[in-house]
Amino acid sequence: MSASVEQACESAAPGGAILSVAGLRREFGGVWACTDATFDLRRGAITSLIGPNGAGKSTVVGIVGGAIAPSAGRIVFDGTDITAMSPHRRARAGLVRTYQLSSEFGRLTVLENLLVAAPGQRGERIRTLLYGKRYWRKQEAELLDQARILLDRFAMRHMEDEYAGNLSGGQKRLLEIMRALMCQPKLLLLDEPMAGVNPTLAQAIEGYLADLAAEGLTMLLVEHELGLVERLSDSVIVMAQGEVIATGSMPDLRRRPEVLNAYLAG
Amino acid sequence: MSSAFSFYLTTLLVYLGVDILAVWSLNLQYGVAGIYNFAWIMFQAVGAYTAGVLTLGPDTGNGGFQQYILGVRLPEPLPVLLAGVVAGALALVVGIVALRRLRTDYQAMVMLVISVIALLVVENVTGLFNGPAGLSLIPQPYGSLPLSTLGYQWFYVALTAVTCLFVYLFVHRVTSSPLGRALRATRDNEDAAQALGKDVVRLRLFIFVMGGAIAGISGAVLILFIGAWSPGSWAYVETLVVLTAIIVGGTGNNFGVMLGALLVPVAFNEATRFIPQFGRPGLVDALQWIVIGGLALVFLWFWPRGIVPERRRRFPGGPLVAPTEMTGPSEVT
Repeated sequence: MSASVEQACESAAPGGAILSVAGLRREFGGVWACTDATFDLRRGAITSLIGPNGAGKSTVVGIVGGAIAPSAGRIVFDGTDITAMSPHRRARAGLVRTYQLSSEFGRLTVLENLLVAAPGQRGERIRTLLYGKRYWRKQEAELLDQARILLDRFAMRHMEDEYAGNLSGGQKRLLEIMRALMCQPKLLLLDEPMAGVNPTLAQAIEGYLADLAAEGLTMLLVEHELGLVERLSDSVIVMAQGEVIATGSMPDLRRRPEVLNAYLAG
Repeated sequence: MSSAFSFYLTTLLVYLGVDILAVWSLNLQYGVAGIYNFAWIMFQAVGAYTAGVLTLGPDTGNGGFQQYILGVRLPEPLPVLLAGVVAGALALVVGIVALRRLRTDYQAMVMLVISVIALLVVENVTGLFNGPAGLSLIPQPYGSLPLSTLGYQWFYVALTAVTCLFVYLFVHRVTSSPLGRALRATRDNEDAAQALGKDVVRLRLFIFVMGGAIAGISGAVLILFIGAWSPGSWAYVETLVVLTAIIVGGTGNNFGVMLGALLVPVAFNEATRFIPQFGRPGLVDALQWIVIGGLALVFLWFWPRGIVPERRRRFPGGPLVAPTEMTGPSEVT
């Protein structure tokens, strides 16, 4: 395994992979949810992670995001080993994730949900209590502009004063993507962004993701809908029973017998 | 206004001030940051004891009938300020134990247990704060002023009001800033806040210490007014009265919880004084606890956001469409 870790570190050099995962393993009470996940994510590309239910995709996203500690393995993000880093430090470094289940701040308005996500806010420092509003007013106005540009782009401007808890399932997904963007990600982990979304909105979200990709945002997409994966992804990682069994482009993967056996046929 | 009524009124006003400090303190922790601090009363108690032993002087005084630690006589307002510092320091220690690794339900359990342990320790280690008998004969602050008894009562009302004003300015600065917003985000979804780069543990510890310090100050204001404090004043159920005031008034709203402080610990408690005694002695007092518990349940069920709900933050330049009000039980989760 140490050879793959070395490789992972080398490939994390600028211009190479933005994220290198090597030999990730995770056990939950005697059950191995992930036995060997090793892959690289190319900068500026959309990579999709697919696999049948129970393949270990969410575990991998959880480990990369920092919510789940790996039993073994190593994660290098943007040239830094982040294996032992806390989730909030990963987010500050630019590794931002969304959740499969809606995770809005329900009693904050849509606009507040976006504002709170912005990194490096002066108004969140403890010294703001000494200096008062003049210490953070200017930055807050800038963030407000940024947030409203996002709301316009995602056609949610009319909802800005609505409590996030009152949004529909699809609107919550949009909010989650906008909120992650406010966080200025270098890599965005999207855990089933289309889950529970009606087909019209799903199409809109697909369009937004394609636009973001065109602007150069690197994304890891966990998704079940293979048509969508094929349309959006530059490359695809297939997991089954806790390990990565194949990587490549979707048309190529469709011809591989091990992928067909593990996933596509089932 | 008869002097007896003035005396009653001023006493009520001081109690109201103390209760307002109490609800602001717990509202920062529970209403804004979502920390279930069932040990809240312990922080008020430690503030009261600290102010007591820093005002009483050496425990050889008054015939040496009380035993307690420290025993110095500091000039005003140092005992009150130090009460805040000591309660804040205790909150830091408790916070490090209870808030770093545990989730909310477990935090609540740990807090409850800590509150009960603290009470047992103070009752049994008599050398600490004079055991079950508690501290008494605490001299009143600024007692050398040439004031009549009633004049001093009004003077103390003014002192309490000034304390409330300073604490309000601080509390408002927290809740109206992006810091308050980050705390509310942490309350609504801890994992998501962390995934957006918020240092949830640090945020919670900070607000826990600040809330603890305000609780300590409220205890100091109370003990210096009534001149005594004993374990009977801070059974763990006292926390539930403050919590009920917050739930009734409006969780997360500084003015709402003030109204709660007026309605629950002050008006409600006073009203029961005027009910004629019936049944066996002490029955009315016992029923009071049941009714306070019931009040919290009724509000959580029918009006979970309280009488004055948390304010919706609007920003200049927003749309003119009126957004819908928040309804349904999902908001209390």
